[in-house]
Parts: sequence; structure tokens; C-alpha cells
Amino acid sequence: MLKRSKVRSYIERFPRFEDESLSLYYAPRMPKAMIRETEEAVALARKFNDEVARPLALELDRKTHENPDYLPAELVKKANEWGFYTMWIPKLFGGKGFNMPSISYFLEEVGSACVGIANVIGVHYLGMAACMMLSNTRIIKKVMSDVVEGEKTGEPCLISYCITEPTAGTDVEEVDLEAKGRLGCHARKVAGGYILNGSKIFISNGHYSTWNVVYAYADLKRGADTKVALMVKRGMKGFSLGTHENKMGQRVCPASVLNFEDCFVPDELVAMDPDIIKSFTKRSPRDVNMQHIDYVFSISRAGVGAFGIGAARGAFEAALKYANETEIDGKPMVTYEWVQCRLAEMYANVRLGRLAYTEANLANQHRGAYNLLQMKPIYYYLRYLPGSYFKKIIAPLLDKPIATWILSKWYIDWQKPKDQHLTTGLASMAKFSCTDFGVRNCQMALELMGKDGLRQDSGAEKIIRDAKLLQIYEGTNQLNRINLFKSIVAPTCPKATFFEE
Amino acid sequence: MLTALNNDLKPFEDLITKFSREELKPHVEVRDRYPFGDLDDDVIEAGFRKIYDLGFLGIMLPEKYAGIGQGISAMCMMLGHVAEVDASYSLIIFTSAMSQQVILNADADEIAEKIYPKAKDAKEYLVAFPSFTDPGESKELPTASFSGKDYTLTGKLDYLVLGSFSKWAVIPARVAGRQGYSFFLADLNGKGVTKSDPIFSLGLHACPIIDISLSSVSARIIGEEGKGERYFETASKIMHAAAAAINAGIMRGSLKEAVEYTKEREQGGRPVINWSEVRMLLANMAIKSKAAELCVTQTCKAIDENLKDWGRTSIASTLHVHDLACEVVTDGVQLLGGNGYMKDYGQEKRYRDARQVMALLGLAPLKKLALIKEIAG
Repeated sequence: MLKRSKVRSYIERFPRFEDESLSLYYAPRMPKAMIRETEEAVALARKFNDEVARPLALELDRKTHENPDYLPAELVKKANEWGFYTMWIPKLFGGKGFNMPSISYFLEEVGSACVGIANVIGVHYLGMAACMMLSNTRIIKKVMSDVVEGEKTGEPCLISYCITEPTAGTDVEEVDLEAKGRLGCHARKVAGGYILNGSKIFISNGHYSTWNVVYAYADLKRGADTKVALMVKRGMKGFSLGTHENKMGQRVCPASVLNFEDCFVPDELVAMDPDIIKSFTKRSPRDVNMQHIDYVFSISRAGVGAFGIGAARGAFEAALKYANETEIDGKPMVTYEWVQCRLAEMYANVRLGRLAYTEANLANQHRGAYNLLQMKPIYYYLRYLPGSYFKKIIAPLLDKPIATWILSKWYIDWQKPKDQHLTTGLASMAKFSCTDFGVRNCQMALELMGKDGLRQDSGAEKIIRDAKLLQIYEGTNQLNRINLFKSIVAPTCPKATFFEE
Repeated sequence: MLTALNNDLKPFEDLITKFSREELKPHVEVRDRYPFGDLDDDVIEAGFRKIYDLGFLGIMLPEKYAGIGQGISAMCMMLGHVAEVDASYSLIIFTSAMSQQVILNADADEIAEKIYPKAKDAKEYLVAFPSFTDPGESKELPTASFSGKDYTLTGKLDYLVLGSFSKWAVIPARVAGRQGYSFFLADLNGKGVTKSDPIFSLGLHACPIIDISLSSVSARIIGEEGKGERYFETASKIMHAAAAAINAGIMRGSLKEAVEYTKEREQGGRPVINWSEVRMLLANMAIKSKAAELCVTQTCKAIDENLKDWGRTSIASTLHVHDLACEVVTDGVQLLGGNGYMKDYGQEKRYRDARQVMALLGLAPLKKLALIKEIAG
């Protein structure tokens, strides 16, 4: 009916059909082994839920209310024993090398039992993503080795991503805002490194983590152009932990205050600064910083979407159980149409949300951060070659500057802007949609359960407390809506400007 | 606002606003830590004593029982102002009023006289009530047995508000062999009463709630056997407006805190409030909050003036206000970003409290179905 060339011209028009229907194009290209791997991750999560998360979730929530200073470090040890902190570290760096998209399904499963516990595991990979996307292979190798070692010794080694400041939350997630924001974390260049001063707040897992990816600014008035990414290890002189926040929910996962007072960070732990950027690209530091933020959040926002669907599922499952066990006027609740319709809607929210984070993952797999690891030859090469091969042959190469140069070029200089926009836009869409679904399902569950849902021992009330944070962290849902518009919709709006109204 | 309808309430409004600001506000965060914090009976008693001394607790009680004899408008105004600061105290007042309404609807003169004019302290004055329960929907109620002289109650009653604090409780129970349920007055310190620890709930922490078990507990019937549903329905139609007033107060508090915060906090080099999406969220909160005020005000007017279908108006507007409140408090947290989620600010408490208030007087979907049954038959 239409010649192929004609078909092409139509589907390449905005909105580009491939960009709008990623699963149609990319699902068939997925290495088959990824599905089995994902099944294994989900099965592990279900086992963990049965044996650890469900038995502990309400008890730990209660304990942290009884004593707001209490930090359930034993939970982190448990997750470490189960091997969860190295599961998604590439084999190249000594981890188990599970494919990255599988973490979303895993986090949804654990999140359906307890979003806080899912975060204690998942946010470590936010730290890992931030470290990896800075593309310094020597640093990545060093930090990941510590994590792997921590699993062997039983002393968990976690990574935190530290960007939020007391006077700058949303500002540090967009370079245009960062350029005007009230930044406070200062990095002064000195011989052999940087001197770091300032504070970071709301750092998830801060009190548990060994390594911290810290953003600071050489010039606080020109933050977007002078950003410095430093790796700060617990115990370094001048670095101390402050309090952790008294939050409404997700209480097993501390939101920590990190203080830096004349903390010297040597050059070997400087992952990114304007000079390093200059060494591999002609693009401006501001552009590269935005790209790095986009890479990290394209990964983490899909993950937070999975948390949101975990919450939506937890609420759905609590309401379903209640409706099965409760009678109204002598008849089981589940026999009433109004109950069935609400439960159906809650179920649909879960499935729709999962589709949203799956699309975001597909974008990451083929157009973003995972594209290197998920290419079929590389995927199978990494999967089937023995660990000793990487240790002996590949690992020494990672210390060479050329390895960092290649990775930096691949991830930062060679990524197409349209791919960057697609991945960040879909990740934002998944983030705000899934987390809105999460809160909506919690609300529906509470309405269905009435006073029985209000008791902490019912489990339902905890989910609505936990779920609210998901609409806030990893960029508020408002910022994520703007990011979706800016990244994907805006090409149709040449007059649109951003963060300038 | 309710004062727009009734200027006589202005001095009363000033009094309750001052009380909330001076007596409640400084302690909100600490009291919210109950049942894990240090809020004990003495603290509760001290807070209640002040409310009691100001006469707030008898606001709808007739003067013959040493009450003030005001209508639902005064009650709603008071609950709203208290809820704006700490809705836990609104629940205390609400529960006390609900017990009073059941007793008054049953024309149980003797019982009202026994309690209210003679109460020595708040423990004796505040009568516990299962404020979150519509006893008609309850799958399990205690059983009442009549010995020929007096009644005894046996069984379990869950989620009894003020149960750990009050001397008296109004308890719904089924009399063996009779249709429906009846209300009874029982001494919670009496023989055969077993109390649970305070229940850790979503919100309204500073108002204690417990489960109780009763084993042959001596009790006095309130009104007539089998008429409990009638007393409850009449009381709940009025008190739905009171529940709406609590959530309208919570919404006002949420909006106020969101406006103050967004004026102070900066993003991208200017106050957060100057970004148009923030203004849009605030505007939506304001619209919902104002609509809720209007619902409460007009419902009170309908009740006070005994307008046609006031009962339906009361339930319909309350359900609507609860929906609005849950939306407003969610945005209220959102506008404060991470800080809104922390207990140092008031928004996360409102997020929890509004949903707890929504569950007052029974399951919301069943109320909707009952309402349409009443309208459409």
C-alpha cells in the first residue's frame, strides 16, 4: 500500500513512532538470558520478602517510632548476606552482573512488602549509578571492589549519592536552577586535590554508607559551570555524619545529614571537575553536568517508579486480603461490584505503572546508560566468561587512563542529545506516574478498609506514609513533569523556555 | 467562615483561637509522639482540663446539664480552629460530643445528670466512644445480658477512642434475642474490663485509642433496647458536619503552612512561590479549602435551621470535604518538598490526620451507598 520509503518518512515524523513505542522495537532485541536472569531476581525478592522483609517491616517501623534514633543496621547486614549489594554490579567490576533493568522488578517485589526496605537496597545502586556514570574506571573499580569485599567480610560497603543541600533541593537536579540556586557545598582547589566544606542533607542510607559521591562547587555563584564530583569515604578527616531525619515513613532508610569541614579529597578521588571534562570533550561543563544528572536520574527514576508500583501493589494486596476476609451484611466484600471495580482499578494501576517503568528501562537499554552492557555480544561475553578472566585480564586495564577516556567518550561525548532527551523524559514519566499510582492505591485501600486500615499492625497505613516520599525524592513530581515536557514534548513548542518564567 | 453567619460566635472564636495558639501549638510535635513518647495521663489531663475549664466540652450540651447549649455551628467552629493546630484534640472533643449526642438522643436524662454536672475532672467528663465505628456495620459487638435488674456486657470492642483515659464509655452491644443493637454506659475502671495498650495508628496520635475486652461488665442501658441504630443515626447525621469541620481546619492549616514556606524558601534564585506551578498548586489548595469551608458553613446552617434534607446534606458534604482534604494535605506536603515529609514541620502530620478523620463514623463507601439508597430508594 505504501512504499517502504514512504512508510519511513511518516513514522520518522514527530512524534517519532519508534520513540513512542519502545517495547515494540526493543523487546524482541533483548538477549533471552535476560529474562531468566530477571525471573531469578524476582524469585529472590519473593524469597527475601517471605523470610526477611515481611516479618521485619512492621516491627522495624514500630521500633523506629519508639526510638527515633534507632537505625536498623541489622537489616543492611541481612541484605548484604543475601548478596543484594553486588547483584547489579557488572562482572567487569567484580559483581554478579545481573542485568540492570531486572532491578526494577526486584525493587517492585521488595517494595510491595516494604518500600523502606526496598530503598535500603535500591538507593545503594543510585550511588553506584552516580559513580559509574562519572566514567572514571579506576575509581569505579576501587569503589566496587570495596563493595564486593564488604560482601565477603560481612561488613556491608554501601554507596550514597549526595547532592541535596540545606538551601538547595530541586536546584541541584537541573543545571539551569543550579546556576541560580543558593548552593552551599564548596570545593576549593588546592595542590593535590580539593578542600571540601559544607553540608548535605536528606542523604538516603547516609548513616550506612562507606562511599559517598558528593557534588560540590568551586564557585558557589556559578555552580552549574564549576561542579566537582568527589568520592568521599567514611573516616576521611573532616567528614562527619550529622543527625538523621525524623521522617513520616520509610523509616528504616535513614535520611542523613553529612558535614564536611576542611575535608581534603585527593586528586585520585576526584571523579569529575571542569579540567577533567576538558580532557575528553569540547562540550561545556554545564552540558556535561546536565548529561550526568540525566544519566543518573534516568536510571534511578525508573527505580523509584518501581518503588511506587511496589507501594501500589502493597496497597492493592492489603485491600484484596481485607476484602476477601471481611463481610458486609453477611456477604463477603469481594462479592460486591463496587468493591470489585475498585480492586480492578488498583490492579490496573499496578500494571500500567509497570509498563511505564519498563518503557523507561527500554530507553536506558537501547538509548541510554545500559546500552553498552546490554548489547548482545557484550552481554553474553560478560555473562559467560569466568570471573577470573575479568580479574586477571580486564581489571588491570581499568586503572589505565585510556579506559576512563574511552568510557567518558562513550557515555558523555558520543551520546546523541535526542537519546538523552528520550531516556530522561521517559524516566521522569515513569517516576511521577508510578509514584502517583502508589499514593492513589494507598488512598483507595484506606477508603476500602476504613478504621481497620488505620492501625499500624494492618500494614496499610504504613504504605501510605512510605509512598508519599516517592513523590518527592529523585526530583519532585512537578520537576519531573517539567522535565518530561522539556525533553520530549518541547520540540513541538519552539517558543517554550524553561526555568525562566 | 461560620462567624459570617453568626456574629455572636466571634468572642468564642477568639477564645478558641487563642487557646489553640497558646496551649496546643507549642506541644504539637511532642504530643504526636504518643503512644511512644512521654505523653502520659497527667499531660492529657492537663490539656483536657484546659479545654474543660473553658467550657468547650459542653458546647452542645443543654444548660440543664451544665452545658453551654450552643448548636452545631459553634461546635464546628471550635473543632476547625483546634484542628488547624492539632487535630488530635478535635478528636477528643468530637468523641466527647458523640457520646453526649447518643445520650441526648436516647433521652437518657438520668445518665446525663449522673455524668456531666457532677464530673470532678476530665476523666469523668469525657465519655469514651468508638468514634470510628458505625455499630450497624460492625461484624463483632459485645453481647448484653439482662439479669432482671441490670445489664452485663461480654465480648470485644475495638478502637475505642479515649478508652485508656476516660472513666465512662458509651458502648454498643447486641442484646441476645433482639434485633439491632443498643447503647450502654459502662465504667471502664470496673470489674471485667481489660484494656489493650494504646493503638499505634496512622494519625491523631495525641488522642488515645484502645481495644477492650469485657467479661460480665455491669452496664446501664442508654434509652431503649434495640434503638441504638436510631440514636446513632441521628447523632451521626449532625456529627458528620463536625468531622467535616475537623478536616476543613486541617486544610486551612496545611494551606497556611504551605504559603508561609513557599514565600520563604528559594528555588532557582527566587522564592518558590513565584514559580507558576507552585502557585497553581497553592491555588488548587485554596479553592478546595474554601469549598470545604462553604460545605461546613452551609451544612451547619441547614442543621441549625432544620432545613429539609439536612441529614443528607450533612453526609454528602462531609464525604466531599474528606475527599478534598486528602488531596489538599497531600499537596501540602509536596509544596514543602523533603521538609514537608519531616516531623519538624506540621504537614506530614496533617497528611496522616486528614485520612484518619476520613474514617470517622464508619466506612466512607458504605455511607455513599446508604446516601443514594435514601435519595433514590
